[in-house]
Formats: sequence, structure tokens, C-alpha cells
Amino acid sequence: MDAILQGLMELAGVRAAMVLDGSGQIVAHRGQAVYDRGVCEQVGGTVTKAIESIQLQQEDWETITAQYADGRIVVRKVAGTAAAARHVLAVVADQTLNASFATVALRVAANKVKAAVEGGSSQVPASGSQPLPPSGSSAAHPGDSRPVLASSGLSWAKPSGPGSSAAGAGSSAALSGVAVADPASSAFLSRCVKELARHVGPIARVYVQEGVRRVSPDAPFSAALFRPLVDDLSGQIEDPKDRALFRRALLESK
Amino acid sequence: MSELAHIADLPDVRSAVAGDLAGSLLDAVREKDGEAIAAVTGFVASALAQAGDELGLGALRRISVVGAASGCVVAVEGDRVITARLAAAKSIPAVERFLDGAGNGRV
Repeated sequence: MDAILQGLMELAGVRAAMVLDGSGQIVAHRGQAVYDRGVCEQVGGTVTKAIESIQLQQEDWETITAQYADGRIVVRKVAGTAAAARHVLAVVADQTLNASFATVALRVAANKVKAAVEGGSSQVPASGSQPLPPSGSSAAHPGDSRPVLASSGLSWAKPSGPGSSAAGAGSSAALSGVAVADPASSAFLSRCVKELARHVGPIARVYVQEGVRRVSPDAPFSAALFRPLVDDLSGQIEDPKDRALFRRALLESK
Repeated sequence: MSELAHIADLPDVRSAVAGDLAGSLLDAVREKDGEAIAAVTGFVASALAQAGDELGLGALRRISVVGAASGCVVAVEGDRVITARLAAAKSIPAVERFLDGAGNGRV
């Protein structure tokens, strides 16, 4: 699936491409630095809710395009058997995207994703997920359906426990070195990267990872540590106004 | 003629509904289930606006849904959400152009 998404990434204007399953979870992902897997996972859930609502009124939908002031999201249904039909292909693009080319490319890519899902290759989907893994991370475990989520350095992994997938979550924590207590904490870390990236660029992911290790060296990152982490990360921003903006964005909207 | 009636008169447009991002119905033309349409499109527009915000794409302007046999165009302007349901997806570009014109005050 990596090659399919890479093909979409080569379209002018495409910033991220991903395959989502029926629950909005990312099956495979490629994206530029600011559209890392964490951000796309958040968005994937939101987009899936929108799709479910659209289906109430238009069951035969094939393509959904959301046009924004500075870009667009294009979602294409992956038709096929029951398993494949639950998947969608989504692209995040800027204004330079050629809509006609994108329509054709998405149609072709959706057929390939269908073949991949029906052929079972979705079990190793994210080999090309961006960003690249940090040095020292190990290879994906066989059978782990989200291997590069773990190795991306932005994979805030929920620790193993009741109700969680012990194999997947446990290995994720081990690989990334960052564990989270709950989905809200994971979402907060992704927001931290997004907000920090506005001021320091793609290095934000590294700063956040290091910041988490400083404020929570021994326990999974949790809501109680939101403010200490923001305090820590604020030190990475030189301009006082930018620093204040960063703090406000994260602490006043949580 | 109101903006909504103009939209409903475009080729292949089955109905037109005006609502807001909270899902409330403001007006409807040829749509007996306007409240449901306004509720759904209000929610969809809110969700996709949030997604765009998270991705830094700016304000949501329009949503187009292409189906095998039909289509739908949702225009968002501020808090207002206008939905045009189409009998044929091929007419979506024409409706989009009209709604972009409406957004620029040409209607």
C-alpha cells in the first residue's frame, strides 16, 4: 500500500495521503512533516464521522471533496467486498491540486487499495508511513497491523492493559519510547507537535518526544502532565509572543 | 426570487435547503425533509470544518459529494449552510460555480 500512497504523494499539491478503515483508524499513511500520523489519525476520526452522516442521505457516494480557503480534502470510497468497502482513501492537498488529475489518480489508487485489502496486504500497510522512524527503532513485529505508527516517533502508544491490544500497544510503547495513558493524551501530544511546528518546524516532533521523556520519565503521559509539558516545550520558542501564542493554543482550548 | 429558489432552478437540482452549522433549518425549496437535511449537513460541515482546522487548511467553503447516480453540493458561508441535492452528479460543477458566485455577492 506504500507504493499506492507514494504515487498519490507525487501529484502536485498533495500533502498527505492515507487509507482509513471503517472506524476511522489509519491503515496506511504518507504525509509531509506537519501532516504526521498523529494529526492524520485525529482528522481521520472526524472525517469518518462526516462520511457516516453523509451516508444517511447518500448511500451511493463515491467521492467527497471538502474545499477550504487554503486547500482541500478529497475522500474516495474503496468499493469491493465487505472488507474493502469499509475503507476510504483520503488526500490532503493545497490549492495547487489539479482536481481532474486527482479524481483520476484517486480512482486508480482506490482500485489498487481494494486489491490490496482483498488480497490481505492491509496487514502490513504502513511500511512507508511518514515521518521516518528515529534511529535505533526496531523493525515492525510480524502481525502488528500498525508497525510504523510505532516507529514514527510520533506514535503515542497506550500501554497494554485491559481493553487494549496488548501486542500492538505494548510494542508501540517499546518502539517509540513514549507511552500515553489514554486517547486524550495521545491527541494532546499530536496537537503539541502541530502547534510547536508552527514555530520551530518539523523538528517539533523530536522536541515533543524529548519533552515527554523529561516530564514523564517513568509513567505513561497523562492529562495531569499537559501543563508541565507545555511549560517545557515553551522553552524551545525564542520569541515571547510566539511562546504566548503556543501556550494559549494548547492550554486554553484543552 | 430568493437565492435558494435560484439554486433550486439550476439544472438537475432536486431541492435546496438553507440551514446553519448548528443544524437548524432556515428555508427549503422542493424538500419535504428539510429539517433532516439541515441537521445532517450542519453536522457534516461542522465536522469537516474541524478537520480543516486541525490540518491548517483555513475556512471550509464547500463540500461536494459525487454519487453513482446523484450528487450534493454544500456551500458554507460563515454560519450559513446551503445544500443543493442533485439528480445527476454531472451537474455538480455548474452548481459549484453558481454557489461560488452567490458567495461573492453576485446573486
